Amino acid sequence: MNRNGIAIVLTAGIAALACVVPASAQITAERLLEAADEPENWLTYSGGYDSLRHTTLSGITPENVADLRLEWVYQVRSRAGAAEKFEATPLVVDGVMYTVTPPNDVVALDALTGRVFWIYSHTPSQDARVCCGRVNRGVAIHGQTLFMGTIDARLLAIDARTGRLKWDVQVGDPRLGYALTVAPLVVKDRVVVGPAGGEYGIRGFIVAYDVETGEEAWRFNTVPGPGEPGNETWGGDESWRTGGGSIWVTGSYDPDLDLMYWGVGNPGPDWNGDSRPGDNLYTDSVVALDPDDGSLQWHYQFTPHDEMDYDAVQIPVLADMNWRGEDRRLMLWANRNGLLYVLDRATGEFLHGSPFVEVNWMDGFDENGRPNQVLAPSEGGTLIMPNNQGATNWYSPSYSPETGLFYIPSWVDTFSVYTKRPVEYVEGQQFVGAFPTMAMPALGTRPTNVRLPEEGYGAIQAVDPETGAIEWMFPMTDVTDSGVLSTATNLVFAGGREGYFYGLDARDGTMLWRQSLGGQIAAGPMSYAVNGRQYVAIAAGAGLFVFALPE
Amino acid sequence: MRSTTILMAAALAGPALAGPPVQEHSYAPADIQAGQVLYQGNCAGCHGQAGDAVEGADLGTGRFRRGGADEDLIRIIRGGLPGTSMPPHEFLSVGDARTIVAFLRSLPAGGMAVDEAEVRIGDAARGRAVFEGRGECTACHGIDGQGAMLAPDLGRAGIELGPATIERAILDPSAEVRAGNRFYQVVLAGGETVTGRLLNQDTHSIQMMSDGRLVAFLKADLRGSGFVPSPMPSYRDELSGDEVADLVAYLLTLGSEDAP
Repeated sequence: MNRNGIAIVLTAGIAALACVVPASAQITAERLLEAADEPENWLTYSGGYDSLRHTTLSGITPENVADLRLEWVYQVRSRAGAAEKFEATPLVVDGVMYTVTPPNDVVALDALTGRVFWIYSHTPSQDARVCCGRVNRGVAIHGQTLFMGTIDARLLAIDARTGRLKWDVQVGDPRLGYALTVAPLVVKDRVVVGPAGGEYGIRGFIVAYDVETGEEAWRFNTVPGPGEPGNETWGGDESWRTGGGSIWVTGSYDPDLDLMYWGVGNPGPDWNGDSRPGDNLYTDSVVALDPDDGSLQWHYQFTPHDEMDYDAVQIPVLADMNWRGEDRRLMLWANRNGLLYVLDRATGEFLHGSPFVEVNWMDGFDENGRPNQVLAPSEGGTLIMPNNQGATNWYSPSYSPETGLFYIPSWVDTFSVYTKRPVEYVEGQQFVGAFPTMAMPALGTRPTNVRLPEEGYGAIQAVDPETGAIEWMFPMTDVTDSGVLSTATNLVFAGGREGYFYGLDARDGTMLWRQSLGGQIAAGPMSYAVNGRQYVAIAAGAGLFVFALPE
Repeated sequence: MRSTTILMAAALAGPALAGPPVQEHSYAPADIQAGQVLYQGNCAGCHGQAGDAVEGADLGTGRFRRGGADEDLIRIIRGGLPGTSMPPHEFLSVGDARTIVAFLRSLPAGGMAVDEAEVRIGDAARGRAVFEGRGECTACHGIDGQGAMLAPDLGRAGIELGPATIERAILDPSAEVRAGNRFYQVVLAGGETVTGRLLNQDTHSIQMMSDGRLVAFLKADLRGSGFVPSPMPSYRDELSGDEVADLVAYLLTLGSEDAP
């Protein structure tokens, strides 16, 4: 290269570097509200309070996605962590990426290169017990503070600049099965979480802490106690005490309605509800809470008196759309129980429900949206569709305002045989019943797959929320625990257990790009930009993979 | 020097700190040697050859936040420390762990290093006044994430650093800069400079903390980059001997619960 060439390169460098040092590194409540104005950053678990998991970055398009190439990889560093599922969605704040590797290591990475700024490592107590992996789905940020829940049921506040611990609080007793795997949600000056542990007979709750001090601000019991509305739906001998109602995934927030929405997990024990007669509120429900005091504003229960482990462990997707001729604030919800729901998110009114996979446990709704259940577990065994892992699970869906389609990671044509067996509560032990049969492993992968298609398979499905019609389906031979990212340029990114990561055409599901990552995808993709260049990130196996177009 | 030692013990007392190291007995050279082998195999990967690679857990100082007695250390080695990155090492026998402790105790500062006893320790309350006033220390140093972030946070100075280290850092700051506190400067293509603590680097990129911000650069975009001397001035001629002693006393309280 001659001298002139070098000079040109250096000049280009100045423009790029001007963006490297941002004007402000503080994540204020206002910035979280206006996150859509800075698509180069990814400030909350679902990419915005409306949880669309949709990026307006436009560098990567259907025309150029075939050129997408690996930019960098970050490998999980601890041996124990590498053996777990890597479920976190990273945040990106002004060129710095924050993620959590299993079980509870927070890492600050240079989003440009994947190099480490710092690692905060939390070794969970030996008391931690988790049904479904020593996993974590990510951090939340407010100001200069990151928040991480731990599997020994602590909530930690960590300085985002230095990786130093600022405060930590014990959220529940890990010896009783309380654990935090959820990425926290920050609303105003509170950080909100709730415990996993529905398989251990916990009594669930949603709890808000002051972001500065860690002082508890309010608590909403997802399983109401005596004197609280809903307790009357827990018959039997104090069945509410071990009623489950976990919080597995992050809620959403509508600042105009000032309502926060959370999906609540299954009742305990999972597969035999004889000890808990009644609807078992607010399990398998979405609850709308006032973020200032945690008071319940409305609720909708997807699966009353559940005995099929159909947690409402889904992200509430807040879509503003034209609904039968009227602009409405809606909530889209593809549930583990196989049904797609459209609710009015101001009131909780049930607007639509229809299956998005084969469903046989119910055959319709009454006018209030209560399902007409026709099958349940029995002593002789009952074959129920979808299977116990569900038609979808905690994997984030996506809604694209461009296409108007709702993208659902789906398990298609699955079934379980549910057999009712006696269950006894023993502190700290699983409180579930007889595990239903399943053709595929509930968690993780096997190195080989010789299943028949009619035993179930995975798919990304694009559904028209207004009709429930499946507009297109991208089938995969194995099932998927992957989230979905949609883009304003009409792309959909997702993957599955086989380890492929796909770029699909959001309009018709055509596969435009694929990359094998050599490990299962059990996380949601996200997108960010540094110096104007767009990146797509996804965790797979024990690595975090970041892609971009050639410069 | 006996009175100084007592003063120091007083400054270190408090629930967060177990006090000066408790060395129950002397160790046989064979134990120290065996411990060194086990340390290299099981500990050095994280703690480093010199025992100072983990921030907040400098094994070479002989000062241990979670109990300084041999049995405490053996328990921590074998059981780990929940809530930190220290994992359990149950595969090490108590005897193995004891030889590792023997090795740690043999490190230069692992016992009561001679020069620690030479350091004069004054009044912590007066030291705080020097820190926040005449010394202008707060212009660069923060405490527990509060205040300036130009220089290393001193919130755990009393746990991480010994009196001699603190005194030396005040009087002769460039003599020994810990690896994690090294200053670095990059020169952008346009000639502007960015200075801060070097957090990471590789063949192609540099990661720094500059004035409380995490920043990264591609070397290809830079005119130059390199280490710079510590910007910390020497206070040898700025503060009196009494003031330095007070400042040492104050810094020794940071991280313990008896800060004034």
